[in-house]
Amino acid sequence: MSLLGFIVAQCLSALSQAAILFFIACGLTLIFGIMRIINFAHGAIFMLGAYVGFTAIAVTGSFLLSLVIAPIVVGAVGMAFERIFLRPLYGRRDGGAYLLLTFGLTVVLSEIVRVIWGAQPLASGIPDFLRGIVIVFDQPFPLYRLFLIALGFAFAIAVWQFLDRTRAGLLIRAVSQNAEMVHALGTDVDLVRTGVFGLGCAMAALGGVLAAPLVTAFLGMGTTVVIDAFVIVIIGGMGSFLGSLIGSILVAFVQVLGAYYFQDLALAFMYFLMLIVLVIRPGGLLGKED
Amino acid sequence: MSWQLNFVITAAVCVLLPFMLPQYSLTILIEALIFGLFAMSLDLMVGYCRLYSFGHAAAYGLGAYSAALILTKLQWPLPIGIVLAVLVTILTAVPIAWICTRSTGVSFAMLTLAFAQLGYAMLFRFRDITGGSDGITGIPRPSGPFGMTWFQGKTGYYYLVLGCLLGSYLLCRAIVRSPFGAVLAGIRENEAKTVALGYNTRAHKIATVVLAYGFGGLAGALYAAFAGFASPELFFWLVSGRVLIMVVVGGSGTLIGPILGGVFFVFLEHQLSQLTAAAHLRIHIHGLRHVRAGRHLGAAEEPLESRASGRGRRQ
Amino acid sequence: MTRPMPLLECKGLVRRFGALVAVDTVDMSLEAGKIRAVIGPNGAGKSTMFNLITSVLRPSAGEVIFAGETITGLPVHAVAQKGIARTFQFCHIFPALTARENVRIAAQARDHRRWRFLAGGNVLRRSAAVADEALEHLRLARFADVRAGLLSHGDQRLLEVAMALAQKPRLLMLDEPTQGLSLEETNRAVEILKGMLGGGNLSVLLVEHDMEVVFKLAHDITVLHRGRVIADGAPDVVKANAAVRSAYLGGAE
Repeated sequence: MSLLGFIVAQCLSALSQAAILFFIACGLTLIFGIMRIINFAHGAIFMLGAYVGFTAIAVTGSFLLSLVIAPIVVGAVGMAFERIFLRPLYGRRDGGAYLLLTFGLTVVLSEIVRVIWGAQPLASGIPDFLRGIVIVFDQPFPLYRLFLIALGFAFAIAVWQFLDRTRAGLLIRAVSQNAEMVHALGTDVDLVRTGVFGLGCAMAALGGVLAAPLVTAFLGMGTTVVIDAFVIVIIGGMGSFLGSLIGSILVAFVQVLGAYYFQDLALAFMYFLMLIVLVIRPGGLLGKED
Repeated sequence: MSWQLNFVITAAVCVLLPFMLPQYSLTILIEALIFGLFAMSLDLMVGYCRLYSFGHAAAYGLGAYSAALILTKLQWPLPIGIVLAVLVTILTAVPIAWICTRSTGVSFAMLTLAFAQLGYAMLFRFRDITGGSDGITGIPRPSGPFGMTWFQGKTGYYYLVLGCLLGSYLLCRAIVRSPFGAVLAGIRENEAKTVALGYNTRAHKIATVVLAYGFGGLAGALYAAFAGFASPELFFWLVSGRVLIMVVVGGSGTLIGPILGGVFFVFLEHQLSQLTAAAHLRIHIHGLRHVRAGRHLGAAEEPLESRASGRGRRQ
Repeated sequence: MTRPMPLLECKGLVRRFGALVAVDTVDMSLEAGKIRAVIGPNGAGKSTMFNLITSVLRPSAGEVIFAGETITGLPVHAVAQKGIARTFQFCHIFPALTARENVRIAAQARDHRRWRFLAGGNVLRRSAAVADEALEHLRLARFADVRAGLLSHGDQRLLEVAMALAQKPRLLMLDEPTQGLSLEETNRAVEILKGMLGGGNLSVLLVEHDMEVVFKLAHDITVLHRGRVIADGAPDVVKANAAVRSAYLGGAE
């Protein structure tokens, strides 16, 4: 095992982890940018995505189809939740209500999953065409993880282009900067918010479907991952798409390195990183002023 | 009815409770009062200064582990052990508060979480002292000073906890109605203006966090000596999340609301464990509807947050 | 005969925002007991000046001297403690608190026992007395127990002035105090201000757009345009200044 091979393998490992984290963090930061609320239910949405993905695979037999179905279904659930529970709250100064509602959604979703799918973890496993090992610099590396890296890369580019070049993306950026102005110009801002919330949920669900073959779908898979996502969004700066990308990569690398070199404190490494970033730049690396 | 009368009546009822309830209820009640105290401590930050913390478990855990170590290793009398545990928590809280208050909003909240998680990790790093994942067990309630032993039995301990809760409530109430408390109101309403008036708002925020940690540490210390053990779960973010929920459900900015929230939650959890998943679901959706309507438990004393009028969109 | 040392002196103040120079080498001084108005078209840098003096913004260059002491770069609350009170362009009050409590908190700021978190009864009483006095002065006493957020815009602005007065400042900085007020409210405000400022132990720096108000109150005027001082002197002198006329009438484009 050469040193180069080892380093490359670690990097690839971190990048594949970053990809999954990025799906979740990107959605979270988009939601915050538009709605100025922290979606505590994001982890549960991630979990729901994994479970819906499992069923989608069971029904259609196609992993690739589940990558499309699960985000759509979960995105719709998100939009419904936003419409029914969150929209009536706009304009209220009460931050606590959002906390309770999104946290409550987490609990409700957990219960729903338990009722529909039961308490046992569900494994659909890595799809056949993505099973296998690839030799990278004399190190074996799972093909599926390479697939994750490629997909993450493609996703990052797609979202970037969407925000930068499309009309919808422009609308989203405008609302995140000055919602009242956009409203005065005639756009239905409420609809944009609902749409973005759904989009953010869809992204998290995609992350869930992709993560399931690695960790199996289980209750509580969202709880630790949502904290990681928060840390990433804080490090990168809330509301910043590029920040969530950089944050995901930083955190994934810190986690992989930490797990390898400092097992005892591995858990704490991510928080050290966040602490350092916040002490130097209290708004996050690319944070917008609130 | 004046609040003094309310207070005396409530205190009297609480004093009489052990004679009206069976012993096993007393255990739940003690736990409920401890959580009420814990929730009230967080209300100082959340309700009076709008400093949302995701890491208040750190105060709880610090108090619990400090008490655990002092009582098991040094065998000092229980009251002294608890007081010292609170002091340790307060001292540790100062640098934590100093760092966290450099940021605001969610960043502040995440920094508090970071410290709680760091505390959690530290417990495993120094497992020789802290017992790692096993924690510290067999925490005694040493007698004294002056040979006092009334707190060693369950009923006696109930009165200790009740006394601490009532005393802390009175203290907190005095604080929020003091000149210092008025500045907190200013910070909550318009921090920029408060600074422009000449107040060092950062120092006030640090003081608020330290006070909150102090009362939270008291709750943790009382818990450790009650349960007889301290384990890493006390630092876990789930605890922070739960107490934050208790504060919000109870009604932040009222002191009483969060106490009720804490008590309510402990009793609710004991009941819920016997229900099916479907029943859980119905209860939670019901709760969400209440939240959407803006209702909370501490309705007797209107929370300061919703007293503002004329702002925000009408629905 | 030497002139008395000015209470406030701005020397060479500069503030840049990237390529934009909002305040460009501004010199200004205010004598104790006088009222100076700072006027100029929109975007001239008036509010930025205020923010530089009160340390809300750091100057890119230059210094601010108050009562002989350099206060540039001090934290905002320290500047206020030196005896400078200001009101804001977009009215800053505590909407959920009563009018009296608003002013009382302002009054408490200079109390050396304001840190008390127990046994603070005396502090509360002292500051409440100052607050009631200030409310009287501004003819807002009847609103003492009303939530500040419910007051009319004009009354809120006067409340803010009451808060500034309750700080017992040596220098009062008013940022567009009559903005958004009706004619009747403006006249009332000017009358009240004139009454307060007659004493001579209060100095005032005033940003105003309403020229009538300026000419009724100010002893001296500084005219800013695009961040620079284009005129400085007594009202009659400034009125006659050609550069000022063209700046206001848009000739200088």
